[in-house]
Amino acid sequence: MKRNLPWILFSATILSTSFPVLGDNPPNQIDLSKLPATQLDDVVVPLPSEVFNVLDKLGTPDWKGELRAPGINNRGARAQIALLLGSVVAEGFVAVEATDKERVKQIGHNVLELSRAIGVEKTVLSRTNLIVIKADTRDWVGVRCELDGALTDVKNAMIELKDAQLAYLVSLGGWLRGTEVVTSIVHKNYSLDSADLLNQPDLLKYFQERLATMPPRVRGNQLVNKIQKGLDEISPLIHQKITPTSVERINEVTSQLVKAINSNA
Amino acid sequence: MRRFFLLLGFYTVLTPAYATVDDAISRALEAIDPYVKEGYIVRDDQWGGDLGVKEQKAVPHVLFKGNDYWFCIGTDVDNARVAIHVYDSKGKLIESDSWQKGRFAAARVQASATGTYYIIAEVTSSPKERTSWAMVYGFK
Repeated sequence: MKRNLPWILFSATILSTSFPVLGDNPPNQIDLSKLPATQLDDVVVPLPSEVFNVLDKLGTPDWKGELRAPGINNRGARAQIALLLGSVVAEGFVAVEATDKERVKQIGHNVLELSRAIGVEKTVLSRTNLIVIKADTRDWVGVRCELDGALTDVKNAMIELKDAQLAYLVSLGGWLRGTEVVTSIVHKNYSLDSADLLNQPDLLKYFQERLATMPPRVRGNQLVNKIQKGLDEISPLIHQKITPTSVERINEVTSQLVKAINSNA
Repeated sequence: MRRFFLLLGFYTVLTPAYATVDDAISRALEAIDPYVKEGYIVRDDQWGGDLGVKEQKAVPHVLFKGNDYWFCIGTDVDNARVAIHVYDSKGKLIESDSWQKGRFAAARVQASATGTYYIIAEVTSSPKERTSWAMVYGFK
């Protein structure tokens, strides 16, 4: 349903008769299990800004210590580049938190280069220029908006190019790097509140389902296969109370996956 | 966003139906505009489609504890009424504020826990069989 032109043409016409009408006075309780599948959309993948906005409120972690240099020269198949692009954008958010102007500018250039490698360079050109300009003036909120926008623009461009699978991989790459950073920070100063940030089982399920339904040529990719196994390992840890041990294990798995993305291994 | 409107402009020549999508998005952005002035960051993306009267669409969304969200819906159809409400994963109405003004409606969530929430959009009345709608959201 999201933003695609055909949505107005293909909208569902099957009406529910069992689900209550909400109107201006909605019931305080509804039975979500009675919600017909035709009325249920895909889960919305949150913007990195939404996560980092919360991290801002969790004290002052050592953001510089969390920074990594993306291996953008280790490029392989389009699937790997898409994953790498997502993780580089997430790295941009870490660089913003670390207020590292030069690193943010470098990431702006990296985003452009990776977008060029998968044919969506024109889509992000103005965004990447703005990332550099705003980093120069230390407009960190502005840089975050442009990073969010670059991610959205790249994904929409891929959908327009009928390459939705790559768009999902961009999101997944960003989620993996973001989760690696969040778990690293939470693990260093564990609290129930901070661990609550990882309570995203439906999002993980969404990524798992998307990977499972990708064409065989994508699923057959060694890296994609590795990520699928990694998500299967993380899944039970996120479906229960997220303990310090779980946080540590999720961090280990996501670190390995991000390394694999960066090294095209 | 710009690309979206350009494409919509092109398709508008082909069929008048697309104009309504464009307008519904504009209405949703109009509804969220006051919150931009309050410091909410509006996501440059939209959700929408068309619904019959009393028909609903549920959009599952992971919301993060500590964030404050406004979800706004709009339609371009004159004399139509739309509604938007937010439930948690147990089906409990969770919004801390909401309003409805004809073609516009909004709901606010100050998430008390991270998890999946259900944003439910509904056309409550309309002179048309199908009513186009669009939803946008902002957070701070």
